[in-house]
Amino acid sequence: MEQRTESPKEVLLEVKNLKKYFYSKSGFIKSNVQAIKAVDDVSFTIYKGETFGLVGESGCGKSTTGRTIIRLYDVTDGDVIFDGANLSQMTQSQIRPYRKRIQMIFQDPYASLNARMTVGDIIGESLDIHHLAKGKERQEIIWNLLERVGLSKEHANRYPHEFSGGQRQRIGIARSLAVNPDFIICDEPISALDVSIQAQVVNMLQDLQKEMGLTYLFIAHDLSMVKHISDRIGVMYLGKLVEVASSDELYDNPKHPYTQALLSAIPIPDPDVAKNSHRIVLEGDVPSPMNPPSGCRFRTRCRYAMDICSKVEPVLVEIEPGHFSACHLNKNSEGVSFQETVQND
Amino acid sequence: MADTTIKKELWERIPQDNKDAEVISRPSMTYWQDAWRRLKRNKISMLGLAFIVFMVLFALVGPTLAGHDYSTQDLTLSNIPPRFEIYQIDADTFVYVHSEYKLIDVLEDGTLIGRIKEVQNNLNDKNRVYDIDGNEVFLDYKYAAIKDSSEADAGIKFKLFVNGTEVQPYKTVWNKGHLFGTDNMGRDVLARVMYGARISLSIALIATLVNFFIGVLYGGISGYIGGRIGNTMMRIVDIITAIPLMLYVILLTVIIGTGFKSIVIALGSVYWVNMARIVRGQVLSLKEQEFVLAAKTLGAKTSRIMLRHLIPNVMGPIIVSMTMMIPSAIFTEAFLSFIGLGVNPPMASWGTLANDALSGIRTYPYQLFFPSLAISLTMLAFNFFSDGLQNALDPKMRK
Amino acid sequence: MADKLLEVKNLKTSFFTHVGEVQAVRGVDFDLKAGEALGIVGESGSGKSVTSLSLMQLLQYPGTIKEGSILFEGDEIVTKSVKEMRRIRGNDIAMIFQDPMTSLNPVYTIGDQIMEAILEHQDVTKHQAREKAIKMLELVGIPSPEKRIDNYPHEFSGGMRQRAMIAIALSCEPKLLIADEPTTALDVTIQAQILELMKELKEKINTAIILITHDLGVVADLCSRIIVMYGGLIMEEGTVEDIFYEPKHPYTMGLLKSVPKLNNDKRERLVPIDGTPPDLIKPPTGCPFYARCQYSMKICQEQQPPFFSAGKGHRSACWLMHEDAPKVEGYSKTFKREVSHGTTD
Repeated sequence: MEQRTESPKEVLLEVKNLKKYFYSKSGFIKSNVQAIKAVDDVSFTIYKGETFGLVGESGCGKSTTGRTIIRLYDVTDGDVIFDGANLSQMTQSQIRPYRKRIQMIFQDPYASLNARMTVGDIIGESLDIHHLAKGKERQEIIWNLLERVGLSKEHANRYPHEFSGGQRQRIGIARSLAVNPDFIICDEPISALDVSIQAQVVNMLQDLQKEMGLTYLFIAHDLSMVKHISDRIGVMYLGKLVEVASSDELYDNPKHPYTQALLSAIPIPDPDVAKNSHRIVLEGDVPSPMNPPSGCRFRTRCRYAMDICSKVEPVLVEIEPGHFSACHLNKNSEGVSFQETVQND
Repeated sequence: MADTTIKKELWERIPQDNKDAEVISRPSMTYWQDAWRRLKRNKISMLGLAFIVFMVLFALVGPTLAGHDYSTQDLTLSNIPPRFEIYQIDADTFVYVHSEYKLIDVLEDGTLIGRIKEVQNNLNDKNRVYDIDGNEVFLDYKYAAIKDSSEADAGIKFKLFVNGTEVQPYKTVWNKGHLFGTDNMGRDVLARVMYGARISLSIALIATLVNFFIGVLYGGISGYIGGRIGNTMMRIVDIITAIPLMLYVILLTVIIGTGFKSIVIALGSVYWVNMARIVRGQVLSLKEQEFVLAAKTLGAKTSRIMLRHLIPNVMGPIIVSMTMMIPSAIFTEAFLSFIGLGVNPPMASWGTLANDALSGIRTYPYQLFFPSLAISLTMLAFNFFSDGLQNALDPKMRK
Repeated sequence: MADKLLEVKNLKTSFFTHVGEVQAVRGVDFDLKAGEALGIVGESGSGKSVTSLSLMQLLQYPGTIKEGSILFEGDEIVTKSVKEMRRIRGNDIAMIFQDPMTSLNPVYTIGDQIMEAILEHQDVTKHQAREKAIKMLELVGIPSPEKRIDNYPHEFSGGMRQRAMIAIALSCEPKLLIADEPTTALDVTIQAQILELMKELKEKINTAIILITHDLGVVADLCSRIIVMYGGLIMEEGTVEDIFYEPKHPYTMGLLKSVPKLNNDKRERLVPIDGTPPDLIKPPTGCPFYARCQYSMKICQEQQPPFFSAGKGHRSACWLMHEDAPKVEGYSKTFKREVSHGTTD
C-alpha cells in the first residue's frame, strides 16, 4: 500500500455521494410511496489500472451501485465522474459513447446471454451497435476474442445453451472486451460458477487486466475471492459503505465490526484452522432497506452497539492513510473517536 | 486392487494441450431445431399438424381438382345425398328416386346423368308416370301423405312400378359426381366445403396475423416501457375486452356491411388483446434479465433490444398462442356466419354452409354434416398441434 | 458390520432424457456409521446431489436407479415400495434442501409444517405435536418459538427458514440427516449462523449427517470424513485431514489449489483446473478427470482406475497410485503422515 501511494495515481472513476432509491407504491386509492434506499450516500474513488472490490451481503446495494455507475439505473442523487465526465446526469444518447469505455460482466452465465443468438453474434453485437466493424473484419475480431478467452473460432456458430457455465462466463467476458473498454464492472462474475471454474475466470480477468490495462470494479459477496483479486476493497452494508482499505490491510486489520464479522464468517478450507478459529456469528438478519435502523445501520447486529450508535450516524473517515471506516469505535491515537473529530468540524 | 500388470506404454504421459478439453461433443442445435425434434416425438401433435397441412392443401388445390365450381347451380340436381339407392329399370338403365319424388337417370356406378322428364304428373293422386326406353315407369308417392297405413308404418314413402310390377332397390351406390352430395341449389357440397375452407382458414389466418402484429407491438411496448404508460395501455386493453364481441361485430357490420372484410376487421381488432397480455407479461420478466441489461450496457437502442433480444425470446409463447388463436378464430367466424353476420353468398365459409343446411337438416343432414365435420376436425387438429407445440417450446423442458 | 447405518454399493443412477442417457451416478460405494458426519464434495454435475436423492428415492422423472443397492440399517431400500419409503422418509432419513425459499409451503404456518411431520410418523396428539414443534424451533435457535410457530414462511427471513427446515427435518429424530447444499443460497453471515447451528446440533443429537456441498470450507469443520466426487464417480475418500492435508487424487489437489487462501499475504496466482467437466451422456471410458488432469497418462484414457489405498480409510481412484506408475513431479504416492500402513484389503 505504502509504495503505491508514492507513485501518483490517476483517478479513473469517482463516485460522490451516490444515491439510488427505488420507490415502491402501495395502497389503492391513496398511493403510499415508500423509498427503498438501495444505495445511500456512497463515495469512493477508483484509480486507473487497479481493481476495486465491493463486498457485502445480498441487499446491501453493491450490485445496484455497479448498475447505477453504468447508468442501467438513473441516479437519484450524487455524481459519477468517469475520466472527468459526469455520467450521472447524462441522457442515454449522451452516454452512448461512454458505453464503449465502460463495460459490465454479469453474474448469471445462463441469463446473461441471449439464447436465440449465436455466440459470434453475441460477441459482435457491440461492433454492430457502434458500427465498429463489418464483414470479414468483424469476424476476425470475434475469432480473436474467442481465442483470447480460451475458446476456439468454431464456437462462434454455436448457441449459448451448448456451453458450460464457465464457458458462458468467458463468452460474457469476450462480449465486454469487444469494444476495447477501459473500465469493467464485474458484477459477481464468479458466484454462479463451480470452484474449479472460478479460478479459471479469475485468472483470466487478471491476465486481461495486465494485457489490456483494464480497471475493474469487482463486486462479490465472497470476501476471499475479492481479497485475492482486488487492490482495494470497499465493504457495504445496507446501502452504506462501512469500510474501505487496501485488501491486505482490510484482512489484517479490519476496523469495522461488520468487516470483522464478515471475515470470520468465511468458511476456511482448512480443518485445523477452522477448528481452532473463533467465528463471530452475527445475530439475526439484515434489516429491511425500506426501514433501516436509525444512526448506524449495523447497530442492530453489532456486538459493540452503544447508545451513540442509534443516535448519530457514523461517517466514513480516513483513520489511517488509505484506510476508511465508519464506526464510533474507531479512535485516534489520543483516544478520541474519529467520528467526533469529524462531526465537530 | 488391480493385480494385473499394466502394459508399459500405457504409462506414457499425454501432454495437456492434446486433449481438447473444450470440445463440445453434442451436435449444434438451435432452439427451433430442438423444439421441432421434440414436437416430432409427439404423435398426436404431428397428426394434428398433418391434418392442418391436409386441410390447407384441401383449401388451396382442392377446388381445382373437384371438377365442380363452388357457385355453379344445377337446380335439376339439387339436394342429392352422397349415397343413395338406385332402382333398375332394364339391363343398363338405373334411376334414383329423388327426395322430391322425381326420377333421376343414373349409371350403375352412381354417376348422375340428369332429370328424366315425366310423361304424366298427377299432382292430385301423387304419382308420376315416366317413359324410359319404352318402359312405363310409375312412381307412386302417395304413401308419404297417408298417415295410417302399413306402408307409412314401415317407413315407405313411395313405390316404383316398372311395367306394372313393383321394383325393389337394386343397390346403394356412392354419388360419384358429387362425393359430398349437392345442396339445395344443386351446387357440389365438396366444392363448397373446399371453398369454405379457403375462406374460413384465410379469415382465421389473416385475423391471427393481424393479432400477432398488433398484439406483439402493443404488448411489447407496454411491457418494455412499463410504469404508468404501460399500465394505461393495459387498461385500454381491459376496456376492449369488456365490449362483447357480438355487439362490436353488429356495429361494425352496420357501418361497413357484412362480408369477408368486416369479419377480418372484427376478429383482428379484438383478439389481439390476449396476445398483448401474453407478450407484455413475458417482456416484463425478460427485460430484467441480464442479457437485456448487457445489451443496454453495450449501448443498444430500444428498437434493437425489442427486435433482437426481447421478441425472439418471446416467440415461443407467441407461436403457441397463435396456434391456439386460429381455432378460436375459425369457430368465431363460423359462428358469426352461422347467425348471418358472415360472408355474403355465393361466397361460402363453413359457417354459412352450416347455416344454409340448417333448413333442410331433417331431410338432408349430410349438408350440415360435412361443414361441421370440417370445422370440428380442423379445430381439433389445431388444438392437438398447439398443445404439442407448447410442450416443445416450453423452455422448462429443456435439458 | 452392525455399526454401519448406511451402506451404498455400486449405485448407478441415470436420467433417460431425449438426448440420451445421462449417467449421473456411475457406480458409487460408501458407507456411513451411526452418528458420523460425512461430507460429499463435488462440482455441479459430479453426481453428489443425485446420490443423495437416490438415497431418499426422490428422483424426479426421468431419473431412475439403474443398479446397485442401498442398505439402511441392513435393509435394502432400492426395492422398497412408495408406501414403505414414505415411512422411512422423514422418520429415519430426513433431508434439508438448498433453497429455503421454496422448500417450505407458503400457505401453511411453520408450526403446521413441523407438526405435519411429527403427526405423520409418531403416535401423538395434536397438542403434543405442537409442544414438540415449539421445542424443535427452540432447538434450532428461533427466538420466542411459541409465537413464531404460528407465523407463515413469508414472515421468516432466509436464515430463519433454513432453521425451520432443519427443525422439520429433525422433528422425528431421524437416524440420518441429508443436507443438500444447506447454505449455498444464504449470505455469508447467515451461512455462518447455520453452520454453527449444525455443529451445535451434531453434538446435541446423535444423528448421522451427510453434508453435500461444493464448498470445501463448509465441510472442513463440520465433517469427519469426506468423499470427493467427479463425473459421477468417487475420486477420493478419506478423513478430513487426509483430504485437506494429504490429498492423493489430482482432482482433490486441484480443488484445494483453486480456492484463494485468505491468510496468504503474497498474491499467489490461483491454480485453476483447466477445461470443463465431462458430458455424462458420453462419459469417458477411463478416468472422468483425465481430460483436465495435468498428470494424465494413456492408461487414464483407457481404463477407469480402481481404488488404491493410501492409508486407513483413505482411498483414491488414480492410476498414479499404482505401484508401477512412473514418478511424477508434484505427486507422491506414499502417505506422508504417521499412520499405520494397514491397508483396507
